[in-house]
Amino acid sequence: MNVSLYKQMLKAQTKTIIGYSTGSAFYIVLVAAIYPSLADSKIINHYLQQLPSGFLKAFNITGMGNLLEFIAGEYYGLLFLLLGSIYCITAANQLLARPIDRGSMAYLLATPNSRQTIAFTQALVLLTGLAAIILTSAAAGFAADAWLVTNDALHQKRFLAINVSGFLLFFAISGYSFFFCAIANDEKRALSLSGGITVLFYSFDLIGKLTEKAEWLRYGSIFAAFEPGAIAQGQAEWLPSCLLLAIGVISYTAGIVTFSKRDLPL
Amino acid sequence: MIELQQLTKVFPNGRGIFDVTFTVRQGEVFGFLGPNGAGKSTTIRHLLGFLKPTKGRAFIHGFDCWRESVRVKALVGYLPGEIAFPEGMTGMELLDLLAGMRRMKTTRYRDELIERLQLDTRLPIRKMSKGTKQKVGLVAALMHNPEVIILDEPTSGLDPLMQQTFIDLLREEKQKGKTIFLSSHIFPEIERTCDRVAIMKDGRLMAVNDVHELQSMQRKLFDVMLSREEEVAQLLSSPLEVIHHDGRRVCIAVQGDYNAFIRELAQYQVQNLDLRTQSLEDIFMHYYDRRGDEQ
Repeated sequence: MNVSLYKQMLKAQTKTIIGYSTGSAFYIVLVAAIYPSLADSKIINHYLQQLPSGFLKAFNITGMGNLLEFIAGEYYGLLFLLLGSIYCITAANQLLARPIDRGSMAYLLATPNSRQTIAFTQALVLLTGLAAIILTSAAAGFAADAWLVTNDALHQKRFLAINVSGFLLFFAISGYSFFFCAIANDEKRALSLSGGITVLFYSFDLIGKLTEKAEWLRYGSIFAAFEPGAIAQGQAEWLPSCLLLAIGVISYTAGIVTFSKRDLPL
Repeated sequence: MIELQQLTKVFPNGRGIFDVTFTVRQGEVFGFLGPNGAGKSTTIRHLLGFLKPTKGRAFIHGFDCWRESVRVKALVGYLPGEIAFPEGMTGMELLDLLAGMRRMKTTRYRDELIERLQLDTRLPIRKMSKGTKQKVGLVAALMHNPEVIILDEPTSGLDPLMQQTFIDLLREEKQKGKTIFLSSHIFPEIERTCDRVAIMKDGRLMAVNDVHELQSMQRKLFDVMLSREEEVAQLLSSPLEVIHHDGRRVCIAVQGDYNAFIRELAQYQVQNLDLRTQSLEDIFMHYYDRRGDEQ
């Protein structure tokens, strides 16, 4: 890693990271604040029971039983995925594909640092941002639990597990985005590859959940490895998280190695 | 100091550079001349280790430019041909970043360069004019006092006054014993600074010449405006090579022997004299094409 590059790149990313972090934190607090007023509402519970189970599953809504299930369903089931995926794809693009495409990578590579060092540093900046966003979200959850919702305590361990599992999901997504950015000459191509695959994964997961016949589709989706609703109910599985970790490690390594060996159009 | 041995890079579209071999000696200012698309930048990108040669090798100070690229870059200062900086930084932030990445200990020379180029480093880079960006690039290339300086089209974007400052800077670097390698598609730019020149065309090295040799080979075109119409016929029958004439204006080609030209003209009433700016192809390519045909 190169410290100067890390600092400067992180500084350039700060605004974006703060934006995503506050957005995420704000939404969690909002969801937590709404919860008490909905928890006791019979109408909503009745309404939820009437919805087809596939539909509820599709959006990770497991129930309104407690605050954690509510947050898991209302935030981690949908908006969190969207927010995190967009961050991963765009940040990887800004940190690697754009400097290659526009040629500014030439200045960084003209310094006596190996390509591995530079790619590794950029990857670290990307992951630091991701960690910051997830940490802020988790902190917001805990804070909301402490100050806003007094009568129904958050299951802290499971909430933490959701965040760790979420981080691993985005570790994998940012990993393959980083890899595509490392192999592409063109910023737009990198963006369409990583964006396209992510949308595809998400659709597989959604269709698989909605229709039982197509449930096998979920095996082809990275999003199936992240089930906030199940974790909230205490049915956490370790294997999918390990898979996410492995996908992340492999794609980051592949990205760094490819970047080190390829011709660069600088 | 810089050595290219049959350096070849073939791109998927069949273009590239082929069998480029030459050596740049230590302390030399070496010009790399060729029209746009001749393969100058491609060659330079090999020196920086951005491209892996299809065949052949390039060395700087004995280090392989692809395999020992980190060691090479510790010796080299580089100005890319395209001006594209990392986003969201001021000039100073970028220079600090690069200094940090080079683990530079002193900024004395950098500050001196900033002063001399009259560069306002507080500006965000995206708000800078092309010339100002080029100055930032120049400072970045020179600030760490590298042994080898590689500049891809260094004066593009600089106004004539700054070009002169730049040339002065290069002369000083040369006096310090630096090896300088610079590319250009404009001969006068090379002529003013370089000792030797390599000429590229269509990815191939056409020749490596001493700059004085090239100057004597160069064919210059003069537009001579005579005051009296009756003298035109006399000038046309003189031994000078007349390309064409139009009324009292006569276009004359001169190669090497300026004295004969001046002596002949002294006999006329010359109203105006203009040197025609010519493309690189006009100056040299006809020479190499002819030589190629003879072989």
